[in-house]
Amino acid sequence: MVPAELRYTKSHEWAKMDGGRVTVGITAFAAEQLGDVVFLELPAVGESVEAETPFGVVESVKAAVDLNCPVSGEVIEVNEDLTANLELLGKDSYSSAWMIKIKTADDADFQNLMSAEEYEKFLEEEGSH
Amino acid sequence: MSELHRTVLYDRHVAGGGKIVDFAGWEMPLQYAGGIVSEHLATRKGAGLFDVSHMGRFVFGGSGATRFLQHVLTNNAEALEAGQAQYTMIPNPGGGAVDDAYLYRFVEDEYVLVVNAANRQKDWDHFAEHLAEFDDVEMSDKSEELAMISLQGPLAGKILTGVIDSGALPEPMRNELGAVVINGIEVRLARTGYTGEPICFELFVESASAPAIWDMLIERGAEPVGLGARDTLRLEAAMPLYGHELGLDPDGKEIPVFSCPLAKFAVSFSPLKGDFIGKDALAKQHEAFKKILAEDYSLIADLPRRIVPVAVAGKGVARPPAGAFVGEKQVGFVTSGTVVPYWQAEGEGLSSRITDEKAMRSVCLAMLDSDLREGDPIEIEIRGKRTEAVIVPFHLRSEAPPFARPILHDHALISHKGQPLKDGAKKARELLEKTLENTIWRQTECINLIPSEQTLSPMARMLSIMDPAFRYAEHKPLKAFYEADVFYYQATDFIEQVEFLLEDELRKFLGFTEVETRAVSGQMANAIVFSAMVDYINRADRKVQPRRLGCVMNNHIIKGGHLSSQPMGAMRDFVAHDPRTEKPAIVNFPVLPENPYKIDVPACRELLGRYRPELIIFGKSVVLHPEPVAEIRAFVDSLGIDTVIMYDMAHVLGLIGPHFQEPFADEADIVTGSTHKTFFGTQRGIVASNYAEADERYNLTEAIRRRTFPGSVSNHHLGTLVGLLMAAYEMNHFKDEYQRKVIANAKAFAAALKRCGMDVAGDADVGYTQTHQVIVHVGYSRGVEMAGKLEDNNIIVNYQAAPNEEGFTAAGAIRLGVSEMTRFGMGEGDFETVAQLIADVVNNDKSVKAEVKSFRDGFTDLKFCFAGEEFDGIMEKLHALI
Repeated sequence: MVPAELRYTKSHEWAKMDGGRVTVGITAFAAEQLGDVVFLELPAVGESVEAETPFGVVESVKAAVDLNCPVSGEVIEVNEDLTANLELLGKDSYSSAWMIKIKTADDADFQNLMSAEEYEKFLEEEGSH
Repeated sequence: MSELHRTVLYDRHVAGGGKIVDFAGWEMPLQYAGGIVSEHLATRKGAGLFDVSHMGRFVFGGSGATRFLQHVLTNNAEALEAGQAQYTMIPNPGGGAVDDAYLYRFVEDEYVLVVNAANRQKDWDHFAEHLAEFDDVEMSDKSEELAMISLQGPLAGKILTGVIDSGALPEPMRNELGAVVINGIEVRLARTGYTGEPICFELFVESASAPAIWDMLIERGAEPVGLGARDTLRLEAAMPLYGHELGLDPDGKEIPVFSCPLAKFAVSFSPLKGDFIGKDALAKQHEAFKKILAEDYSLIADLPRRIVPVAVAGKGVARPPAGAFVGEKQVGFVTSGTVVPYWQAEGEGLSSRITDEKAMRSVCLAMLDSDLREGDPIEIEIRGKRTEAVIVPFHLRSEAPPFARPILHDHALISHKGQPLKDGAKKARELLEKTLENTIWRQTECINLIPSEQTLSPMARMLSIMDPAFRYAEHKPLKAFYEADVFYYQATDFIEQVEFLLEDELRKFLGFTEVETRAVSGQMANAIVFSAMVDYINRADRKVQPRRLGCVMNNHIIKGGHLSSQPMGAMRDFVAHDPRTEKPAIVNFPVLPENPYKIDVPACRELLGRYRPELIIFGKSVVLHPEPVAEIRAFVDSLGIDTVIMYDMAHVLGLIGPHFQEPFADEADIVTGSTHKTFFGTQRGIVASNYAEADERYNLTEAIRRRTFPGSVSNHHLGTLVGLLMAAYEMNHFKDEYQRKVIANAKAFAAALKRCGMDVAGDADVGYTQTHQVIVHVGYSRGVEMAGKLEDNNIIVNYQAAPNEEGFTAAGAIRLGVSEMTRFGMGEGDFETVAQLIADVVNNDKSVKAEVKSFRDGFTDLKFCFAGEEFDGIMEKLHALI
């Protein structure tokens, strides 16, 4: 079960809206697929990010994977603790393993994201391949 | 899409939680539940289990097989004896690789070639195309009927031993092969692998039997490892992967085989190979390679880039094909790279320990311009940003079994701190005090059981530091003066007389006609003989480059042979390379399976006939039994082999006689030895020979004289020569009782150790030992630790690798010698006490330091030497002169 209050992308990021500020992370499914994460590259505070474009990279032993931004806006906070504690990504994906917080101008991008129900269905379809 | 293949272990992978991926048309586990990092670490500390059945296994038979393989592979297939394997390339005409492969010769008339899964069909077609040019070669694809399992890591040997019904692990060296029975089925074993682990095995077994063996190995503690960690392990070991370091580069250009550092070992230009595919192109690369190593880049166009290990110092992961730069110039690209985990170590050197702390490091292999060198800083471009990196010699070292050791690029070098500048007199005082402390400790508080050591008598010690110690007395005989020795310095009469008397005493002791006493160590004595042999065999041909010894027979170092007769020791520059094996032409004495400390005499006969060695060297540093000199002499005579039989008696020189062995009676030609192990002397070496002056071989005796002086020594340490003369007097006077006691003590010691529950090596029927030595097994790779513990308790022994162990860091035995303590008066009952003290430390982890100290207190007067009032006055006068 994925948290009901969050929204999701097809590339397995989650987003949480909190009055014009969007917190972003990756889902537990994504963390499990990656396996041992060995490196995380996140943008700096103040950088602009755009919906459906990469905002960072997460690397496992096997591969480097782009992190796609769920919404457009400006990065206002970066989780520095996470880069030193990468194992949090698999253990606490939806809470302490948040990656960045973004200030958005409107919530149109956010409304386009999948709901928890839709994301679960999406995962099922992905899994059946 | 065609159907994916599954190995016979597929169900095991699924049941074990394997994440199955498509790899080169095979459904294989990428990783299991624990993940790549955990599997990598499990292999480095325990044992990883890999299904490598997806690789291709081609079997070649028929009388033309060797010739065919010489043509289609780069290595020298003919160099392989049955029971050996080699890494090789499958070359194309342009000097690139069709594939890389491993060639196994388990039995005389059959080769197994293991190739990459992805290239199996391509390799097969390539071979099939060339097969038409050769007669009588049978090639078959046994990939399906034969499964292949790899077991790698420090516990691999233990786990494997636990499942074996019969048979033994292959000899403890890389590329050695063997066969055992597991679960009632014959399994072929190879000491090979793709992880850099020093303890490594690959198992070949009929497919139907593989799953049961897989289960048994897991039950014993092996951890299944998927393709993910297989890749990180090989990357850390800097081993090439086809498609990355071999084959085509990202631009579709052929990677020259010599770009890979392993090509040095995988490509042979032996004349035995004849013309093989790609030979001209490879020879060109090889010429360039040699020049590049010498920092001559005139042929760099033939080998523009080489693959080297690179450590990423900055942030990020260097993945292929990231560019590598020096300044603005692109100097190459990453071929493989990731972040690998490792176990952190603590402590330094031999006492460093692998901890339970993990860490990660970013490493890669990169194809870089050939004019870059180790230590050069470069930058790697990762997602548009440059990160710092450095070319390193390696990421991992395998020479300290049982662990592979990670090598970190930023590890601080061990620094031996010099003393702070202080007063010279103060330093002198400190040195005196430290020496006093050390001498009191070793001479009065320790039980010294190093079999190579001996304390000098007070007289021998005094004589060693009297006036001749500061003098020169070089001399050589001139035929113009009817062999009279000519001395080059004045005031040498005394030392001339000493040398004459010493030779005389030693001739009597050995029963040999000639003794050369000027060598200053046992190893030098051996080197003198080897050099003299080369001089002697070239005596008829002085105008050409002297040839080296064609073949030498000796004891292998892991079977107790001393390093002075090994190609890595003093033998190196005197023995020829065998053109077939492309290795030093050395053949080792076979040993008895039930007692590896004894030579298998009947098996020597065939080897002697086949190799006809020019020099046979007996003697070892792990010696429990007499050497079969007389038996081998009889073989040599009956086979009519023109050879010299030499016996390096370093350890047992002081035991020569009826209680141990008489080399003269056994018809050894030459005896060498150090004079300070069982013999009573100062630390020197001797060479004795036994040819009559009329014998043609007397030329060898003369060569020994020449290769001693001026060949090996100029001045020959005259002080210890006087001391040695006193020691020789003592030996000839006291030898009967001393030798009898040494051997009785050793047997009593061995028996007592056995009674204390220790695992004593050797033949129980002869009391485990017939020399001064006793070997005790203390558990695989625990030798270093146990020797350290004993030292903490004032019992001084040395750790020793047993004949089935991979090297001194994996040593599972300790070596004990009774000669020094026998000389201090210990008898059989005393050695029983010592046995109990050792067992208390090794088996019961007890502290016995105080007991050892008080026990040793009763044995501080040296026996078997002259003493008494008649000597007191002169000894005092000598002492007063110091």
